[in-house]
Amino acid sequence: MKNVHALVLTGYGLNCDNETAYAFGQVGAKAQKVHINSLIDGTVSLDTFQIMTFIGGFSWADDHGAGVIQAVRMKTNIGDKILSFIDRGNLVLGICNGFQTLVNLGLLPGFDRNYQDRRVALTWNESGKYRDGWVNLKINPDSPCIFTKGIKTIELPIRHGEGKFYTDESTLKRLSIQKQVVMQYANAKGYPAEGAFPFNPNGSHNDIAGICDPTGRVFGLMPHPEAFSHPTNHPDWTRMKEVQKRKNKFDFYKDLPPLGLKIFKNAVDFFTLT
Amino acid sequence: MAYRLEISLKPHLFDAEGAGVRRKAFDYFGIRLDSVRTIHIITIDANLSEEQLSVLKNDVFTNPVIQISSFDPLQLPFDWIIWTGYRPGVRDNPGATAVEAAEDILGITFGSEDAIYASKRYCLNGQHLTDRDVLLIAGELLANDIIQQWQIFTKQNWNSSEGIGLICPKVVLNHTPKVTTIPIGNDQALKRISDQRNLALNPKDIPTIREYFLNEKVMAERYTVGLQEPTDVELEYISQARSDHCNHNTFRGKFFYRNLVTGKKEVVDNLFKTCIESPTLELMKKKPWVVSVLWDNAGIGQFDNNHYYVITGETHNSPSNMEAYGGAITGIVGVYRDPLGTGKGAKLVMGSYGYCVAPRNYAGWLKPKLHPRRLLDGVIEGVRDGGNKSGIPTPFGQVLFHSGYLGKCLVFVTAVGLMPSKIKGKPSEQKTTHDGDLVIMCGGRVGKDGIHGVTAASETFSQHTPAGHVQIGDPYTQKKMHDFLLEARDKGLIQFITDNGGGGLSSSVGESARFSNGCYIELDKVPLKYEGLDQWEIWVSESQERMTVAVKPEDLESFMALSKQHAVESTVIGRYTSSGKLHITYKGRTCAYVDMDLLQHGFPQWEFEAEWCPPEIRLKEPVLQEPVDIETLLIDMLSRPNVCSKEWIVRQYDHEVQGTSVIKPLVGVHRNMVSDAAVIRPVLASEKGLAFSQALLPHYSAIDTYHMTSCTIDEAIRRIVAVGGNFEHIGGVDNFCWPDIGFSPSKNPDGKFKAAQLVRSCRALRDTCLAYGIPLLSGKDSMYVDGHLPGRYGETHKVSALETLQFSAISEVPDISRCVTMDSKAPDDLIYILGMTRNELGGSEYYDHLGYVGLTVPKVFPNKFAVLYRVLNRVVEKQMVASVHGIYRGGLGVHLAMVAIGGQLGMDIDLTRVPREAVNRMDTVLFSETAGRFIITIDPVQQKTFEQLLKGIPFACIGKTTEEKQFILKANGQKLVHLHISQIEKAWKSPFEHL
Repeated sequence: MKNVHALVLTGYGLNCDNETAYAFGQVGAKAQKVHINSLIDGTVSLDTFQIMTFIGGFSWADDHGAGVIQAVRMKTNIGDKILSFIDRGNLVLGICNGFQTLVNLGLLPGFDRNYQDRRVALTWNESGKYRDGWVNLKINPDSPCIFTKGIKTIELPIRHGEGKFYTDESTLKRLSIQKQVVMQYANAKGYPAEGAFPFNPNGSHNDIAGICDPTGRVFGLMPHPEAFSHPTNHPDWTRMKEVQKRKNKFDFYKDLPPLGLKIFKNAVDFFTLT
Repeated sequence: MAYRLEISLKPHLFDAEGAGVRRKAFDYFGIRLDSVRTIHIITIDANLSEEQLSVLKNDVFTNPVIQISSFDPLQLPFDWIIWTGYRPGVRDNPGATAVEAAEDILGITFGSEDAIYASKRYCLNGQHLTDRDVLLIAGELLANDIIQQWQIFTKQNWNSSEGIGLICPKVVLNHTPKVTTIPIGNDQALKRISDQRNLALNPKDIPTIREYFLNEKVMAERYTVGLQEPTDVELEYISQARSDHCNHNTFRGKFFYRNLVTGKKEVVDNLFKTCIESPTLELMKKKPWVVSVLWDNAGIGQFDNNHYYVITGETHNSPSNMEAYGGAITGIVGVYRDPLGTGKGAKLVMGSYGYCVAPRNYAGWLKPKLHPRRLLDGVIEGVRDGGNKSGIPTPFGQVLFHSGYLGKCLVFVTAVGLMPSKIKGKPSEQKTTHDGDLVIMCGGRVGKDGIHGVTAASETFSQHTPAGHVQIGDPYTQKKMHDFLLEARDKGLIQFITDNGGGGLSSSVGESARFSNGCYIELDKVPLKYEGLDQWEIWVSESQERMTVAVKPEDLESFMALSKQHAVESTVIGRYTSSGKLHITYKGRTCAYVDMDLLQHGFPQWEFEAEWCPPEIRLKEPVLQEPVDIETLLIDMLSRPNVCSKEWIVRQYDHEVQGTSVIKPLVGVHRNMVSDAAVIRPVLASEKGLAFSQALLPHYSAIDTYHMTSCTIDEAIRRIVAVGGNFEHIGGVDNFCWPDIGFSPSKNPDGKFKAAQLVRSCRALRDTCLAYGIPLLSGKDSMYVDGHLPGRYGETHKVSALETLQFSAISEVPDISRCVTMDSKAPDDLIYILGMTRNELGGSEYYDHLGYVGLTVPKVFPNKFAVLYRVLNRVVEKQMVASVHGIYRGGLGVHLAMVAIGGQLGMDIDLTRVPREAVNRMDTVLFSETAGRFIITIDPVQQKTFEQLLKGIPFACIGKTTEEKQFILKANGQKLVHLHISQIEKAWKSPFEHL
């Protein structure tokens, strides 16, 4: 099996670097944490990677809009390199602050292969407050998204103050038609939350939690798949374990796979299985 | 030239920030606003071309999808306008990041005169708003005059083309730095100057200081470097180092302790040595996992063969009391520098909080600087931003309300770090400075911030306390520095590292130079935020986000290159020497030259009179008939502010970043019940965990601080044991917050009693920790938690906080898969009580609810309890239990309800089966806060083996969980309580649900 190299951006207040690199490592990728400045000054080249990850955190403290200044810095300094990275058929993943950065760069939604057009925004949660909580997510089975293949529903934590997905009606319609709405906040039964708090934790339009570009190779989401890399990350694991115990199953980890890893696995599989 | 850019959401979009202001205006003052729109203002004070300005406007500061912006005032509808911005010199974080963005996109560098300032304009709409309403919203909600300025505009005086004008809060000092020498002719003169300059020198220290500077040998040496009388730099250095905050003079003091009833007199010499240091050293011999204690910025314990954990706790009370947000964010970001400055540096892996504040709905006559609800909101938000933006999970925290905290609130912040046990093959816990190592300051720059913060924390808050020591922490700058320093550490570039906290360079350089025995510092090399600081100000400034690092000259180039890559400012400001002297210069001229060992000896010990009046003399048990309506009583108990849900706080804190979460702060079916403790998996590839908990029980201090202390420690331990932490490996952190204990007939008439309370508390700390085998890995004390508050008629009242100890416990979890949560798991499980219930309602939440203190305070029997805790460790290890929950404040009734809500299952309980000692009444069974107890649920198939393991321990099966969600408490065949789970859940959730 050939090595898949995943780049995990760090620096300037980003903070999910360790667990994101760990998640990639768990699914067989070679993950490297790379400081934004190392990419900019050319110490590290994008050319050696197949996956580029914009991770969670508070880049530039999220002052002036979450992900805004990170997008400015990336676009100003290595915008063209990122575009050609995508052009070469590689994958780009943006998680939380990374998703915010992708939409501010214009990499998403990427209509008509225009990766520089800002058409959607992730703005302040309707509550006005930062929120940490696990959500149910419904995956669009028809979406071209590489990262969510084979997943129907998934539970992941959200941790953000600015996660409300907003765009105009026509963009929203087009996202829908082009099946770029990958991930929606859902209720306990797995149906879209239809705005109901806390299932939709931020007031996102159309319950949107994540979108991809038309190729499915650029994906951004507010929830944190890298924070579900171990069975004990799940908020109900002690309850689920108790159920297993009563069936005399003491190897309960087996029945409680850390599903967040599946998203990283899909990314690796994209290169190794094709 | 300055330009003002106004940015707002497109008019049809929901303004969450504005809605928040609207909600708070109603919650705080009952003022009804129709709507509030927020305008963010960026004032650019730099010469830029029109084209450059347009790039900034369109490509940086305006999101085309959701925002509109203009260099002219935005024309938004309003009835009133409030503008708020920072005062000059206050840390403007968004302003600083705006400069970074502008420099990057324009490819320019801002000059020292150029800046960007962030401010806000609120458009208030409400037909019936009065000027009094708007004044309240401006001064008591949106802005704090300590750090902010504000202006109010009406429709009449608003100029729609000028807007707010061009306001640039630039610091202009127009001052030439000057070293002043201080005459030391006699003690009185020096005392006078100390008072004038706010030096806070202890009068008893003054003769020692004078003696030193008048010593002939010292004078001759000083003469060679051009000095005679002491300089302000030197006296500030001594003052900082001798402050109670840095030197712990109170805890190292001599107490003349007298029992007023028996007349017995004792001299207690040095509480720190006898009650903290010596028990910890003794325990260290038995506990090989204790790696490093009592000297560094934080204590170190062993996590596994390759990793150490690091822990410490702090308080940030005085600043938070005056500017809640700024004080709290500075506190949490500050405590995070402690593990980073421990050993060769630790990565931060978790934090926690503890807030002690006056009741949120306080409606009395006293006027604190900030109303408790505003204060609490600000503190919550400060720690939230500080923790979240640092990328450090906050999985544990507590809030406690009591009117005593009206005088001064308490903000406890705790930090846990992790580091490899070896760095380049050398022990990571060891560090030292060597002759020739360079002194490097990393991180933020130095301004007038926080000057005399340390000495202010060592004084009682009054109207004259200088407000200049309030700062705003900058987690962004610190996070960059944190990442940089850990990389530098791993490359072996760091010889010594410590943080700049209280006392600034004076403390960090002063203390690190003790290792090499000297230093030579060039103050003019220190990078400043603005010109015009006096030399002493540079030396003691507490400007945040700075670390002091010792680097070998041959490593300098690599260190600086890495620093640049991480966009962190690092500056060589001098070198360590072995001269025996602290030698400071400014532009080549010496401004301080003192012996390194000056502080080590010769200063007099502080002395305190301590008088203990036993509780039996002061207090009595209330005469109280057993209540009939237990059901309503239980509902009311669950709604008590100190018992009920504070989910609104917990959810604002990222408790899962780093991917390490094992036991979250909120658990159960509805994920809303408070967990006993937090567990994290700090090494992602390992199945080991760290359990962490804290306890606060200051209500018991009113009876006896000895038992307050032992109960607090016991609770923290039980919390650890409840989730599956290893009882044999628990480290403790003690954080004392005490009112002034210095007796003064007029100003502090009960000082002797409070001193005795401190002695008793320390003794309990010693006794309990020794008995349980808990080494104190770290600890801090914050004295003077008193305030003088104006009353109704212009008089002032001294309000003292409860004598408070926050105890933190940390332990290893050998196998995280064995961890347990507190929620009941399945119907028809058996419910057990472990531990004896005694008649100990004194100081309880129940008595407090009825307006009593009482006398029978809970007591801890560590040797007995330890047997139970060890057994519980085994039971959990064998995976026999479905849930474990300690019985804490509020007693059995409250905590049974919590287990039931957590599991969303009913309970059928026979209270007469509860194991008890001389307890007949059911209110006592339900609400006594006896220590050492647990509620456990188990699968009935486990019953036999479970009960066998419990042999010799008081326990009883008191009922079972039920599918029907009915919470039923029976006694003697009678139903005392029959409530639906949703009713008790509502009672517990509703008090703060609107927040």
